[in-house]
This record gives sequence, C-alpha cells and structure tokens, in this order.
Amino acid sequence: MDHDAFQTNVLPLKSKLFRFALRILGDPDEAKDVVQEVFARVWAKGKAMQEIRNWEAWCMRVVHNLSIDRIRLNNRQHALPLSEGLHIHQDTPSPHDRTELVESMKQIAEIMATLPQKQQQVIHLRDVEGYSYKEICEVLELDMSQVKVYLFRARNVLREKLTRMNAYGL
Amino acid sequence: MDSKELERLLEKYWACETSLEEEQMLRDHFRKVRSMDETPDAAALFAYFELQRSREVNDMAFDHRMADLAKPKARAFNRIVHRSLRIAAGIAVLVTAVWFVRSEIRQNTPPEIVDTYSDPELAFEETKRALLIISRSFGTAEEQAKKLDLFNEAQRQIRSGTPEGSTGTNDE
Repeated sequence: MDHDAFQTNVLPLKSKLFRFALRILGDPDEAKDVVQEVFARVWAKGKAMQEIRNWEAWCMRVVHNLSIDRIRLNNRQHALPLSEGLHIHQDTPSPHDRTELVESMKQIAEIMATLPQKQQQVIHLRDVEGYSYKEICEVLELDMSQVKVYLFRARNVLREKLTRMNAYGL
Repeated sequence: MDSKELERLLEKYWACETSLEEEQMLRDHFRKVRSMDETPDAAALFAYFELQRSREVNDMAFDHRMADLAKPKARAFNRIVHRSLRIAAGIAVLVTAVWFVRSEIRQNTPPEIVDTYSDPELAFEETKRALLIISRSFGTAEEQAKKLDLFNEAQRQIRSGTPEGSTGTNDE
C-alpha cells in the first residue's frame, strides 16, 4: 500500500473505527490507541493489503479483536460512559422535546450498557454504521443466523424497555 | 412518510426484517422529524443512533500521529542522512586533526629531513648538495677499495710464496 492509498482509503475510516472501539472499550483514549494500532498494522502489511477484498471490514475486525484483547488483558468490564454522546443538536423543535430527548437518550445509553457485548456490537454495526448482515458477519466472525439472533434480541430488549419507560416512566 | 408507512416500517424494523434501504428511510425520517409525540421510543432510539454516528475523532495530535505513520520512507531517508552526516563530521574532525599534527611536525623538523621543498630552486640546490655528498662518499669508498685491493694482492702473493715481479734473488 502506498501513501496515497493509505490517505484516501484507510485514514477516512478513523471515526468509524474509533466509534466501534469506543463502543467496546468505553474509553476514548484507549479507543484512539486501538485505532492507531490498526493503522500501524495496515501500513505494515504494505502490498499484502491489496489482497484484502474489504479493507473496512478487515480494519473493523482488527479493532474488535484488539479491543477484546485489551478488555481481557485489563480484566475489566466494558461500558460506554453514560455521559458519552449526549450533546443534542440545537435544531430540536422545542425545549420540552429537547429535554425529553436528552433524558430518553440517557436511558437508552443505560439500556444499551446492559446488553450483552455481542448484541451491543451487532446493533452498533447495523444501526449506527449501517452495515449489511454479511459485513457484520465478516467483522465479528459470526454466522449470519447468529448475527440475526443477536440483533433481534437487542432490538427486542430496547423496544420492550423503551415502551415500559415511556408508558410508566421506568 | 405517512404514519401508516412509518408504522409498517417500524414493525419490520423491530422484527429485523427491514432492508438497509428501509432502515435508511427510517433514519432519514427521524432526522427530519424530531418530534417525540409520535413513536417516542423509536424517535429517541434513532436520535441516539444519530448522535453516536456523529461522533468524530477531532484530535489534531491524533491526526498528526496517523499521518506520520504513513511516512516511514521519509523517516528512513532522514535517518540515513542523519547517520551520513555524523560519519562525515567524524571524518572531517579526523582529517583536521591529522592536518594539524602534520603541520606541527613540519614546523618542528628541519627542511632537510622533511625532504620536501616548495621552492624549486632551493630543491635543486639541495638535490645538488645531496648528490655531491654521495659523490664524495663514492670517492672515499673508491680509495678504500683500492687499499683493500692492494691488501688482497699482497695476501695472495704471500700465500703463493713468490711475490710477483720477483726474480728469486734478494736484491737488498
């Protein structure tokens, strides 16, 4: 891989890779370290990268593996901090809706944190990054059926808890 | 998107039966309609996903580190240049030291010993003088050789018993 290919094809992935690492690790600095390590590996692979069909999926898989390794190494629980990502756009229609939205999202962040790791990863890849099932299989090295089961369970839990939350304020 | 269509798509979404295109339609819908009145749970969830998606790495130091990663050749080149300059500096110091030592030796040594002259006339004169010394030495050596010759001849005659030119009678 030459410098131009690295600049145009790999570096723009940094935010996606960062978000995925952050989802798994819950720490922005650690997530950045993982992304940096992934880029170093991509660059070190050099021409061998040309044999890889889907660079993005390959990078995401490396992010996943490195992040899981870090969690195992540090022997700790992963969690996205509840304060993460709660900066709401100013164009929200009304202050009431805005406040409600902030509150809802805090609760969603809490619900997300309670999901099993695999379900979190699958729903992140599908609903945040918009990956196809096939790409998710490639990134997480899972079967298609497993991916669908994880996604189904994650969405069901979210729906159930959100409905309860809206109905009873729980 | 009308409410019925939205409801239909959401049902498909919860059942994980939506395609990527349909999910994109839902995202677009909730991006435009931020009201929490209809389908508040889905609206909040899609807003949450949207916020997560908007997270970027805005860190200049990080970007510089990433850009530096892709410049190993430049770094290697700089390293080679740096090392070459160090070697060149070492050689320069060595050459300068040798030059100073040589100058010092020359200053403290008589020109006859150094045997090198920058003035051609002086060199010519000195060469002549040196040749004369050698020639004189040759002359002295010749005289010594003649004496040795004479001595050898005398020795040969004594061994043979009859001195050459003698008639066998004692003239004296």
